[in-house]
Amino acid sequence: MTMDQYAETFREETLELLSELEVGLLELEQNPEDVDVIGRVFRALHTVKGSAGMIGFDEISRFTHEVETVFELVRSGGLPVTGELVNLTLAARDIIREMLDKNLAGESADTEIAEQLVAALRGLVPTQDDFSANGVAETAELIASGDNETSFHIRFRPPANIFHRGIQPLGLLQELTRLGSCKVIAQTDAIPGLDELDPELCYLYWDIILTTEHDEDRIRDVFIFVEDDCELKILPINEDLLAQSGEGGRLGDILVQHGDLSRDDLERVLQAQNKPKLGEALVQAGVVTGAQLDVALEVQAEVKRQKQKREAVEESSSIRVRSEKLDSLVDLIGELVTVQARLSQTTAGQDDPVLNEIAEEVERLTWEMRDHILNIRMLPIGTTFSRFQRLVRDLSQELGKEAVLVTAGAETELDKTVIDRLGDPLVHLIRNSIDHGLESPEARRKAGKPEQGTIFLSASHSGANVILEVRDDGGGINRDAIRDRARSRGLLTSEMETSEAELINLIFSPGFSTVGEVSSVSGRGVGMDVVKQAIDSLRGTITVTSAAGKGTTFTIKLPLTLAIIDGLLVQVAGEKFVLPLSAVEECIELSRQDVANANNRNLIKVRGEIVPYLRLRERFSLNGTPPEIEQVVIAEAMGQRVGFAVDHVIGEHQTVIKALGQMYRNVKGLSGATILGDGTVALILDLPPLVQDAEADERILTDSIH
Amino acid sequence: MAKKIMAVDDSATIRQVLSFTLQGAGFEVIEAEDGQAALEKLANDPPDMLITDLNMPRMDGIQLIREVRQSSWGKFIPILMLTTESQEAKKQEGKAAGASAWLVKPFKPEQLLAIINVVLL
Amino acid sequence: MEYLTFKLDGDEFAVDVLKTREIVDLRTVTKVPQSPDFMLGVINLRGSVVPVIDLRLKFGMEKVAAGQSTSIVVMDVLVGGETLIVGAMVDSVEEVLGLDDSQIEPAPRIGTRLNTEFIKGMGKQDEQFLIILDIDRVFSTDELAMVQGAAEQPAFAE
Repeated sequence: MTMDQYAETFREETLELLSELEVGLLELEQNPEDVDVIGRVFRALHTVKGSAGMIGFDEISRFTHEVETVFELVRSGGLPVTGELVNLTLAARDIIREMLDKNLAGESADTEIAEQLVAALRGLVPTQDDFSANGVAETAELIASGDNETSFHIRFRPPANIFHRGIQPLGLLQELTRLGSCKVIAQTDAIPGLDELDPELCYLYWDIILTTEHDEDRIRDVFIFVEDDCELKILPINEDLLAQSGEGGRLGDILVQHGDLSRDDLERVLQAQNKPKLGEALVQAGVVTGAQLDVALEVQAEVKRQKQKREAVEESSSIRVRSEKLDSLVDLIGELVTVQARLSQTTAGQDDPVLNEIAEEVERLTWEMRDHILNIRMLPIGTTFSRFQRLVRDLSQELGKEAVLVTAGAETELDKTVIDRLGDPLVHLIRNSIDHGLESPEARRKAGKPEQGTIFLSASHSGANVILEVRDDGGGINRDAIRDRARSRGLLTSEMETSEAELINLIFSPGFSTVGEVSSVSGRGVGMDVVKQAIDSLRGTITVTSAAGKGTTFTIKLPLTLAIIDGLLVQVAGEKFVLPLSAVEECIELSRQDVANANNRNLIKVRGEIVPYLRLRERFSLNGTPPEIEQVVIAEAMGQRVGFAVDHVIGEHQTVIKALGQMYRNVKGLSGATILGDGTVALILDLPPLVQDAEADERILTDSIH
Repeated sequence: MAKKIMAVDDSATIRQVLSFTLQGAGFEVIEAEDGQAALEKLANDPPDMLITDLNMPRMDGIQLIREVRQSSWGKFIPILMLTTESQEAKKQEGKAAGASAWLVKPFKPEQLLAIINVVLL
Repeated sequence: MEYLTFKLDGDEFAVDVLKTREIVDLRTVTKVPQSPDFMLGVINLRGSVVPVIDLRLKFGMEKVAAGQSTSIVVMDVLVGGETLIVGAMVDSVEEVLGLDDSQIEPAPRIGTRLNTEFIKGMGKQDEQFLIILDIDRVFSTDELAMVQGAAEQPAFAE
């Protein structure tokens, strides 16, 4: 923007300066070392640049700056005046002249020629380091930073001779008051007696509590002209002070921080203090002045205000809700999911596009809402992780091992209920890793490993599941020991072929323990089977992998939430049941012929592998005869593949889990109930106890036969 | 009564910008084209504030500030010096001579008035 | 005090009306395996899973096919200090009636078909006797323990 009212003055002045420049340059051609002339040439360029910049002729200003920069170098003796320099500068003068006319007419000059000239001028300069400086660089804009108000305690002690620099402290203080709400306290303790007082000196200093939306730099700007000579402390009144104590920062600490009180004096007065008010005691002891105390009290009050404000903000940004309320919300969304399923089922049978569209929309909203509500119950698992650090430290000491716990994914979120119930199994796994997994420091040294073993505990998301890993860099699981133990326990017959994975997963079988002597750590009554059960009850799975000499990894896979699961809906004798889909591997048909081929034993061949199955009809004492072709749902339970024979497999079902309640608390093999789309209730199977019971019965039968 | 400010600069354009801006803000402005001219006018009619360029013929701004501070009337008056980006050393020299504040050219009228607000009561 | 009365095998029973929540028509009951016969199963009561007891079987009466008037009385029952919502299947629901304490006599030691522990007293109305039930006792923990007993029985079909 050109300031038109100055244009004519500027034109006249510039023309005058340009002819001065021309004369000067011609003189330099004769006397290249005439300092006065060099000064005149420089000043002419400098003034053109300044004036042009001032009234918005940026093109002239920028270009002249380049020329001026070269002449600044000449003036300081860094560059000799040569014929070439004079020629280039004369050319530059002509360009400025042209720019002047063009710019005054509102046009731009030929930038190409200008650029070429600038390049040529730069070519004369030996080093080109600082040529990027822009002649029309903006002076610092005074911009407010953000909307948030912060408070500062400012201690401003001007130099005693401030009046001799023509500066009134009052002006600075007034400027501060424009930045925000301000409380100014004058400190008079440095005023000497009348006989020593020099009326031309400033003895006062000030404390200012400023609450402003500007930042510290803006405050500093106010003092920019005296900053180098004055004492200026700008302390944000903030969290740090809040952290010092619950009640708005202790008064004594604030005074010490301000430099108004020594720590020693504070301690002395604190000890001698018999009054309730520290402030009064300090003033009375003469270690602080009343005004200094006022400031500290003001800061303290401000801290308190801020704390209240922060708490108010925190309260409004997050609210505490009783978990019962969330539970009832989860119940309600469960009902909604159920009703929505009914709606979809009902509308699906009808040829009404409008109704179907509504049903689909309701379905979408319902699932969205479900996700949000379940998400409310999610907590980061890290709260559980922290307690394990101590555990690892104590245990490794007790066992004479060196171990460090490394955790990852502490921010991974899981349903609160799951987290609560995960603690014990994790403790057990970590104990196991230190006790059985990690070798002694000597053994590790011999194996070429660092003496300190590492336990890795990590959590991560994987689809609708959370994966937890407990990994050690120990010796790995001894497979032979497991095989021997499994045989002696009858978990494995000598002719049974087992894969590596199946073998080591036997450690989850009930009553399994590979270490002969009972150690005080892992041998305390619970084995891996208990861990397995705990994970099962969370509808999760646990597997183990191990590499000899390298270590062992336990992997726990958990559903994100307990309230709703993916289920497989099946039917037996007209009753419907739900199996947790996470455990289901596949479904296989079972014909009467298959049963006959297996000699009526409950065994089925699944791709070459013999899998035992149990009949839900039998286990639940249900009436009726099975259909010609039954279905066997192959699932993973108790660390093995087990089939569940049912009449029909209906399909997948989003299952909202309802407790069966107190009256059925002793019923085994059921983990709850769910309401189906048609409004009836289906029972949810708890597979591990079903398998356990079946095995127990089998044993009783086998025992009675022999 | 309107406060009186003396504006010293060898550039007529800048003097005009200063005058226009300051008069618009209600100040009375006396112009001078260099330090020598300023001193001659100041002695008879001391202003409430002085704004001076640094690089001027005859007497530069630094010398002018020194003279003013040593005078009987100019001990405490606010002095604003106009500098450019490249004049850091000059700025320090001016401060040592007794300048109250400085303003980097080119400036906007608002910036000038903002500084006057701080240094001139 | 007011009582809700209902019929079971020709006899009229009464429960404190304050213990009752609602009366619902018989609906599909899902049998829970390994539970005694008198525990009919669970129903869907507006999204909640509520257990239902067949009071006939509970009181040792003969099982009959459900009829038109068969109803489920949903009640709050105090078991082991905890309030449970339980449905009781009855032949028919009769009425709500008020009875003074004077109209109630203590339970006879003999002459009723059921455990006298379950009986709070006998009410008399129009020459007809009402058996006033202590419904919390009917569902007492001792009684519920039967579920466990049942669960421990071998559950094989053969």
